Amino acid sequence: MSLSSNPTLVLTVASMKMWFRDRQALFWNLFLPLLLMVIFGLFNFGSFGQIDLGVVDHAANRESRALVALLEASEGFNITPGDSEDSEIQAVGAGKRDLVLIIPANFTVEGDPVPLKVLYNQGRPRESDVGQAVLSRILDEMTFQFGDASRLFVFHAEPVDSRRLRYIDFLTPGIIALAIMQMGLFSVAFAFVQLKRQGILRRMFATPVSPASFLVSYSATRLVVSIMQTLILIGVAVLLFDVQVVGSILSLLAVTLLGAAVFITLGFAVSGWARTEEVAAPLANVVSLPMMFLSGIFFPREVMPEFLQSVTDYLPLTYLADAMRSISVDGAALWSQWYNLAGLAAWLVVSFALAVWLFRWE
Amino acid sequence: MMETARTPIIEAANLHKTYGSHPAVDGVSFHVLPGEVFGILGPNGAGKTTTIEILEGMRRPDSGTAFINGVNVVDDPRGVKSVIGIQLQSSAFFDKLSLAEILSVFASFFHRRVQPADILAQVEMEERVRARYKDLSGGQKQRFSIAAALVNDPPILFLDEPTTGLDPQSRRHMWELVQKFQSLGKTILLTTHYMEEAEELCDRVAIMDHGQIVALDNPGSLVDNLLDRGFTKSHVERQANLEDVFLDLTGRQLRDG
Repeated sequence: MSLSSNPTLVLTVASMKMWFRDRQALFWNLFLPLLLMVIFGLFNFGSFGQIDLGVVDHAANRESRALVALLEASEGFNITPGDSEDSEIQAVGAGKRDLVLIIPANFTVEGDPVPLKVLYNQGRPRESDVGQAVLSRILDEMTFQFGDASRLFVFHAEPVDSRRLRYIDFLTPGIIALAIMQMGLFSVAFAFVQLKRQGILRRMFATPVSPASFLVSYSATRLVVSIMQTLILIGVAVLLFDVQVVGSILSLLAVTLLGAAVFITLGFAVSGWARTEEVAAPLANVVSLPMMFLSGIFFPREVMPEFLQSVTDYLPLTYLADAMRSISVDGAALWSQWYNLAGLAAWLVVSFALAVWLFRWE
Repeated sequence: MMETARTPIIEAANLHKTYGSHPAVDGVSFHVLPGEVFGILGPNGAGKTTTIEILEGMRRPDSGTAFINGVNVVDDPRGVKSVIGIQLQSSAFFDKLSLAEILSVFASFFHRRVQPADILAQVEMEERVRARYKDLSGGQKQRFSIAAALVNDPPILFLDEPTTGLDPQSRRHMWELVQKFQSLGKTILLTTHYMEEAEELCDRVAIMDHGQIVALDNPGSLVDNLLDRGFTKSHVERQANLEDVFLDLTGRQLRDG
């Protein structure tokens, strides 16, 4: 048996041709994620226009509370109270703060000027510059309030060496995970249901070809496409937005393959159950839309209510996006993501069982 | 007769298939000899398609046995599918592939390689290798679906209503194809609604109704038998009919290339 007459191989090549000849699929799977990335990235939707300020209040006296109240009253800041200087330095390093204000224990409005320490995020010069300007204005305001003309407060700004974590750095791995899900789910569901509805699948059933050949070749095509999709998205992110991919690209591709396998089999499960595109499309949307917003693609899941967070911990897209993000943003090694990979593997087993159980030739 | 000297290539014995409480096939038995064109006739819902699909290995009978070329249909449906060519009553093909690519894909299902142009030449469509299935005319679609049934060079062809919906030119062209395949030694089992088609093509026909075979013989004998029972037509057929007029006016040339 030669390779050129192996049904799985021939069908894989054929379904690859069919995929690339399908302009709509190309658009939805390549240009849409790119568009999302450009729109969200360019307009920087994720930063919400506020400067993230951490405040460590060692004094905790009347004056320091008055200062914090003034800071809270100003709309430019999104304030997070911090426990210690060290933990806030870490938060800056992880890109969660633009600025941290350290109020010393001897903070007072009487006597000698007390130096305040301000840590700023080197990676976000714009935010920390604006933040420092606002901070100094508020401190001046406080000076006038207490009626002392001499400068009451001085602050020493210290840079914190942080990675340049911008919204687009956070967004990119999420968009890649999203693209993997959409590709697996929709491209399989549509192609498969169409083959079924048009009777093409039934015509194939009139030959000795096995369902496995068909499933393997259609999945293989989409695995290859999702690898290309990931590479293209990373390429555009790096070239256009100067996104830093800290971890290894190979690890990202490995996660891509596992994630794509999960969503491809989920796509087969959806289309095994659905008989027409009219049913498959909403069904695939029911599966994908909640995940799109609950799995931390566009914003961190920490902003969600806690009960929602604990539920969304177990979504396949959460595992995928978390693994992608840890590797891309934190430079995590592949093995350190065993928890997310195990979650994906569990989903793969479940959706495979579903897909086999729901498979019909017609 | 010489038929007794040959072993049947298709053998169906006491096939039953029930959908819900409706018996679609209710005790069907017949055999087809190598090289025969065998027709199954009957009104809609008579059980023709179910019968043919059981023989093709696409449906499991509730009971009964069938052998195709010595292969047991019930035990080895895939073995059956590899020795026959199937044209389904309605079929579609990948619309993003050319006809040549589709034929190569289908050939691979039989672990074969084919020259698509040669296969298409067998249904006189060799000039359409690059065409897409959806762009074909009705007659061409029907011929292409026969081409797809030829990729494994099967000794047996199953054609389910091959001429339904075709114009008279295309139908006559299809008849010529069937006769050509018979002359090449293939055995053909077909279903049809057109009696003149059965008379023209079939060596023997089985007439089905309500899931059973109500008559089985060669077309001439069936007609003789009816006449022997004293049947007369209310009006005598003329030497030509409207179809002859139509073909005389529009020619026998195929219109779709």
